[in-house]
Amino acid sequence: MDVSEKVKDYIFKIWIVLSTLAVVTVVVFILGYIFKNGSKAINMEFIFDNPKGMPIGSEGGVFPAIVGSLFLMAIACIFASILAISTAIYTVFYCKSNKIESFIHLIVQCMAGIPSIVLGLFGYTLLVLYLRLGRSLLSAGITLGIMIFPYIEVRVEKTLREVNKFVVDSSYALGVSTGYMIFKLIIPLCRTDIISAILLAGGFAMGASAPIILTGAVIFAPIPKSLSSPVMALPFHLYILTGEGISLEKAYGTALVLIIILLLINIISVVLNLKGKEYR
Amino acid sequence: MKNLKENVFSLIVKLLTGISLLLLAFIVIFIFKESLVFFKEVSIFKFVSGRTWNPLGSPDKLSILPIILGTIYVSLIGILIALPIGVGSAVVLSSYTNQKVKRVARSVIDILAGIPSVVYGFVGLLVLVKFFEVKFSFASGESVLAGGVLLSIMMLPFIISTCDESMEKVYRDYSQYSSALGVSKSYMIRKIILPQSRKSILASIVLALGRGMGETMAVMMVIGNAPIMPKLLKKCQTIPSLIALEMGMAEVGSLHYHALFASGFVLIIILLIINTILYFIKKNIDI
Repeated sequence: MDVSEKVKDYIFKIWIVLSTLAVVTVVVFILGYIFKNGSKAINMEFIFDNPKGMPIGSEGGVFPAIVGSLFLMAIACIFASILAISTAIYTVFYCKSNKIESFIHLIVQCMAGIPSIVLGLFGYTLLVLYLRLGRSLLSAGITLGIMIFPYIEVRVEKTLREVNKFVVDSSYALGVSTGYMIFKLIIPLCRTDIISAILLAGGFAMGASAPIILTGAVIFAPIPKSLSSPVMALPFHLYILTGEGISLEKAYGTALVLIIILLLINIISVVLNLKGKEYR
Repeated sequence: MKNLKENVFSLIVKLLTGISLLLLAFIVIFIFKESLVFFKEVSIFKFVSGRTWNPLGSPDKLSILPIILGTIYVSLIGILIALPIGVGSAVVLSSYTNQKVKRVARSVIDILAGIPSVVYGFVGLLVLVKFFEVKFSFASGESVLAGGVLLSIMMLPFIISTCDESMEKVYRDYSQYSSALGVSKSYMIRKIILPQSRKSILASIVLALGRGMGETMAVMMVIGNAPIMPKLLKKCQTIPSLIALEMGMAEVGSLHYHALFASGFVLIIILLIINTILYFIKKNIDI
């Protein structure tokens, strides 16, 4: 190696070490910052009480927002997974043409690329105004569902494709119908992986605020009693607390609660995913 | 009986698949239909080339060139910062770590990807914006630069995971040969892995660009939201933040309302093009 190569090698090494350090620093800093400042604000009252004070949110807790976020996540997951699992099953087991398959992949890719705020816009006019669902749990949940549909589809399709080709071929050879095979063989084999994919996407839906600003999130609402009542959501609550300068301390607390819930969802999803691998 | 069940099942699957695929068309058409009212008043060319955005003025005062440029500018700054860092750490992740470290590192990156954008915006506002204001004594820390730096952090997971995947594959293919030839690892990475991962790096750039241009909350909280021509250290406005901020105020059916849909339509077209390009790049990566 001549000198210039050595210099290049040296620069290259510095570059990759520095960039790795940068990534680690950023992760540690962001999480550390939220945990350090947020832990002061969190106590039993903060988690299990309604927001209070004037302006609302400056005292009290975030309980309705926690419940609201979980409800939103549940509705989004149900809506998205029905569509996503069907699409994945169709693409893997029913679609015979390569062209159609590529087309489906292109559509899913493009859907994943639609900015969340445009989905919010769509949900606002179609669901809230035209279908008269109002700014509600249902409108916001469906909008979030559209957002996470591509994520679930991609992961479920990958899981279905990873099923041992032997299983599929033997069941065809035995004359088992496709539908029967999917219900009795494929779904049980992939169950944990599919649930893991849905949970991960659900966490993503829970953290999103852009789609729900227009479709259902409000500054204060009690725990929703029906699908047509407006909801509070943690990310939106955080945005309001910061944007309107209501209470910095409560904002730190809200951010921490949100992060902790998302981390829990993430961990459950990873554990399920590992478990799924064991059975295959 | 069994046949009937089978047919019903496959029919339901096909129906639901059809609905999912139609959703995209539905969204695009719906947004287009709502913006049509506006485009009848103001030509689309004038809309994207004019320089003023004043919802209270006459119809021709509604145009979004500075806002489009702002959207692109912030994303480009983000990519400029995120790309070297992302590719560098993808190299380390793919070639210098063992299986255990890799698994931990990947879940850390998943966590980075899973932090909600509003939390990024929150931290950005309290740390980044304040930092610019205090250390560099800017009049206002809310700027294109702040948005770009924040976006770069949000782009990192996408860049790292896209690059890492193909780099690991290339590494597995070549590491034995090159170590048998006595070539140093770093030399091999520079001469083989990086050139071979060209397409994945390109794909990660396009992906990050799409993500960045569509990002709403985080960007909105740190760029100051002023619809003026973007300059690095000045406030600016992006299309998503414009919609998020003004939609609530716009009277339903007013020209302002339809103009916001029109800007959403412009954004959706840009992103559909970006994602189609991404799709074809990805298709060309032979993994």
